[in-house]
Amino acid sequence: MNAKEQMVKKLNSHAVEVSLPSKLGYERIAMDCSACFAKMAGFAQDRIEDLKTAVAEACLNAIEHGNKGHPDTRVLVTMDFKDDRFSVCVKDNGKGISRIPRDKTVMRRIENLEPPKGLGTYLIKKLVDEVEFNNLTADGHIVKMVIKLTDKPLLSGKRQASGGTTI
Amino acid sequence: MEQPSEIALETIGDVTLFDIRGDVTALSEPFLNDAYTKAIDQGVVKILFKFKKDIYINSGGIALLIQILAETKKNNQQAGITGLSDHFKKIFNMVGITKFAKIYDSVEAALGQMSGGD
Repeated sequence: MNAKEQMVKKLNSHAVEVSLPSKLGYERIAMDCSACFAKMAGFAQDRIEDLKTAVAEACLNAIEHGNKGHPDTRVLVTMDFKDDRFSVCVKDNGKGISRIPRDKTVMRRIENLEPPKGLGTYLIKKLVDEVEFNNLTADGHIVKMVIKLTDKPLLSGKRQASGGTTI
Repeated sequence: MEQPSEIALETIGDVTLFDIRGDVTALSEPFLNDAYTKAIDQGVVKILFKFKKDIYINSGGIALLIQILAETKKNNQQAGITGLSDHFKKIFNMVGITKFAKIYDSVEAALGQMSGGD
């Protein structure tokens, strides 16, 4: 087993968790942690950039909408790499996203140069291989995102959303 | 945590360069609006938004740019964008910003195409 394979084996058995204050700007820490982890797991730079933006947007939603910026709350970001799948779960204390705008609605607003509500969820859906919104738990809400190591680079901008809320 | 936006305006021929440094997020609104108001006061008709390659732009910042582009359209101004990393070029394409502002690979390329004429 070479050094890289040994590293991947180690990563397979250890998840990483980051706890963020509910304050704008701290999403940068989750971005950089996920980027570092994904780099160690062997992801190409373009996929790492996709992941960073998706993680940032999920954290922003958790800070602003889930926890409403309340100083007593935290955003928990859990990262795991197993079977060539890098997953990031972002948990807040909220009740989930009541209405996720459809892609067409977001794009129509942009085409009309109107403020695009739901741009964050739109970007997440486009940038990761799988996403699950609205996984409700007893004490909050989780967004789960996955990028696959074997997946081809994003060309068409089309990704699949699945799970709690079907889009 | 946030690196505040800083926008320097520079006039090159008939193009005004918005040299944007720092993060572009929802918190950048006063900086962008101030810069745009100055440009309007100066009667600017061509605006080139220059970003740093390692800039952090989130959905709040993209929404702000869309607001500014709406204003440029209303005011019959031409807008261009340069300095973006490949990732943000992809994002800007993905969200349709490129329908309202052309992306150029360099300031020189942008000035070459935007300068002169209408």
